[in-house]
Amino acid sequence: MTLLDVSESLPVKVVCVGCGLGMSRNLASLGIHAGDIVSVVRRAPFSGPILVRVESTGANIAVGREMAGRITVETERHRDAS
Amino acid sequence: MKLKDIGTLLELPDSNGSDIPTLAFVGQPNCGKSTLFNALAGFKANTGNFTGTSVEFTESLAVVGNRRVRLFDLPGTYSLNPSDEAEAVTRRWLDERRADAIILVLDASVLSRSLELALEMAETDMPFAIALNMMDDAARKGISIDVELLSARLGVPVVPTVATRGTGVVQVVSSALAVASRPVQAIRPVYDRDVDMAIESVEALLPAGLEPSERRFFAVRVLEGDADVEARVGSLNREALQAALCIRHELAVEHGWPEDGVFASHRHAIAVNLSEAVSKVVRKPVRSKRDRFDSVAMHPVFGPLAAFAALAGFFAMSFFVGGALSGLVAAPFEHLGEALAGRFPGVVGAVFKGLVDGLGGGLAIVLPYLLPLLFLMALLEDVGYLPRAAFLMDGLLHRIGLHGKSAVPLIMGYGCNVPAIVGARALESRRDRLLTVLISPFIACSARTVVILALVGAFFGLKWVIAFYLLNILVAAGVGRLISSFVPGTPFGLLMDIPPYRIPPFRSVAAKVWFRTRSFLLSAWPALIVASVLMALLEFAGIDGMINSFLQPFTVTLLGLPAAVGVTLVFGIFRKELTLLMLFQALGTTDVSSVMSPVQIMTFVVFVLFYIPCVATVITQVREIGWKWTGISVLLSASVATVLAFLVSLAGR
Ligand SMILES: Nc1nc2c(ncn2[C@@H]2O[C@H](COP(=O)(O)OP(=O)(O)OP(=O)(O)O)[C@@H](O)[C@H]2O)c(=O)[nH]1
Ligand SMILES: [Mg+2]
Repeated sequence: MTLLDVSESLPVKVVCVGCGLGMSRNLASLGIHAGDIVSVVRRAPFSGPILVRVESTGANIAVGREMAGRITVETERHRDAS
Repeated sequence: MKLKDIGTLLELPDSNGSDIPTLAFVGQPNCGKSTLFNALAGFKANTGNFTGTSVEFTESLAVVGNRRVRLFDLPGTYSLNPSDEAEAVTRRWLDERRADAIILVLDASVLSRSLELALEMAETDMPFAIALNMMDDAARKGISIDVELLSARLGVPVVPTVATRGTGVVQVVSSALAVASRPVQAIRPVYDRDVDMAIESVEALLPAGLEPSERRFFAVRVLEGDADVEARVGSLNREALQAALCIRHELAVEHGWPEDGVFASHRHAIAVNLSEAVSKVVRKPVRSKRDRFDSVAMHPVFGPLAAFAALAGFFAMSFFVGGALSGLVAAPFEHLGEALAGRFPGVVGAVFKGLVDGLGGGLAIVLPYLLPLLFLMALLEDVGYLPRAAFLMDGLLHRIGLHGKSAVPLIMGYGCNVPAIVGARALESRRDRLLTVLISPFIACSARTVVILALVGAFFGLKWVIAFYLLNILVAAGVGRLISSFVPGTPFGLLMDIPPYRIPPFRSVAAKVWFRTRSFLLSAWPALIVASVLMALLEFAGIDGMINSFLQPFTVTLLGLPAAVGVTLVFGIFRKELTLLMLFQALGTTDVSSVMSPVQIMTFVVFVLFYIPCVATVITQVREIGWKWTGISVLLSASVATVLAFLVSLAGR
């Protein structure tokens, strides 16, 4: 599952930012890393970017669709259970 | 002037010497460096609530307490590994080591992200003190930070600040001065064993030509894949570099990481731990009105509608207020001009008339329309709406081959095209920068807004003003589409931080508006006056007639305009406001509709809106994209203007 498939405001965990070296560095410098809990806040019109919220800092990052499609995530089941 | 003051003045020229300590603000984008700088030096560096406000450094002398310091505001950088041109400015500046100490600015409201840069700085041997800024935003989020503990863990002074209110700014300078005079090495981050061992082995390999204090930093940098440092090490000793690269490769393979990700991941982990250790959540964050505002402002449908309504409202306001003010101020100047021209016949009278026209024009025509616009731009920049506009428009902009981030400079272009063109530097790819620079001159800047409001607004009403802006946007988009199909490549995907809304204190908005008004008064107003006098002299000598008849085939035959506008268009190349003042002067009246037909007025405004960017814009373009592209840009706008104006003129024939 990638960030594109996540419904809004559902917290998910970033598994891997598998989109090439340069890109993962750029995402990391803005605060999105593998292992972070993030959620999709909203989507822009005209197949524009999506707004990603990093739960730990509360930072909001706009991520283009293509890039978002290469960020794989998983739902936080164990979090719901606990 | 007292003798003592002269003494200080005389000291200034040789102040490049070492006696005045130099401090530089370094930090991630949008953490408040320029605001801190301005709090100490007076408003000199532009501020804005978005990434990449500053793309160049700004320098100033300031007196803090009773000491004089030289301050540098640098562009924001997420890490010491630059990813765009603005960031590279900072990195080069740091490499040249021109500062006695750095003031590292951290954003307390996103502490863990900010700390990653602090950890990188700790690897260097540059002395630094930390300004922990945005403490008010952190408090709003319900976070309390143990400043002492943070300082102890990093081994450098940490001063909490709120730059917009000036809190803590003096203390942070004294701390920085203290570390400048007695440098302390920050506590270097401890990575895991393998990484630390790799650093040690590379350090041992490094050639002897390096300063001892630089060795560790260089080792870390080589392991991180820093091209500059690799080149420097390689030039000193090729084999050493090869061996170091082997170590780097092994380290990455061992961890199963991409080679350039090892340090980033480690620093991230250390930063998160450190941030958790020093901060605690003292209460639930207030989910403020500001957040809720976004559900409208960033809504896919309501967002653009709300933005449009707000803009239309704004233009209506500046149109009515500006129009009323303008009328009030213009009348006495007009009487004065006529009276003077009547009293002094001949050249003297002509010069007086030109002088009064220029003075009055600047005051009565330009300022009333300009001030509200400057105020809106200042507010728009500091509130944080611009990155949201970029988010909303990215999808559409991609369709015309542009990058969403270019929305930020392009919107700033409504104030003035020059900062828009320079601001394009914040875009990562060369192609996106080029396109932004080429489209910027099509944006109706404040000077052209003055022309639109004073001609279209006054004679056709507000509806038409809005129609003009829509036309302007459509044309800019069309041109964007056209050029982008000639420049190979596709725009990068958008990746940008959307900061929280921030409400700037009135004082800082006022300071910014005053800064820009003053620059209008000091540079544009004199130009208007000089041009006005020049025009009067040309008229007196009958040269304007020669220029007009030379341009006649174009103005009269092609565009169906009165011959008298020819000379105004020539002046307009210097400043677009001039077309308006010169038009009034050339026609001998401000009631343009008595001399020109509605279609002629429309044709004139359409042409002025798009033809050749003003001199300042052209010069800036040359600096940013070179002669060739600037030439293309000028040709492009001239032809677009001619074609559109011609089409409009057809309506009257
Ligand atoms: N609430 C709050 N806002 C601040 C503070 N300091 C700065 N700001 C606001 O934050 C925004 C960013 O400030 P700038 O000074 O432009 O940031 P910068 O670090 O120079 O940014 P770049 O030049 O893009 O790297 C502006 O809108 C400021 O008004 C602060 O302490 N508290
Ligand atoms: Mg700045």
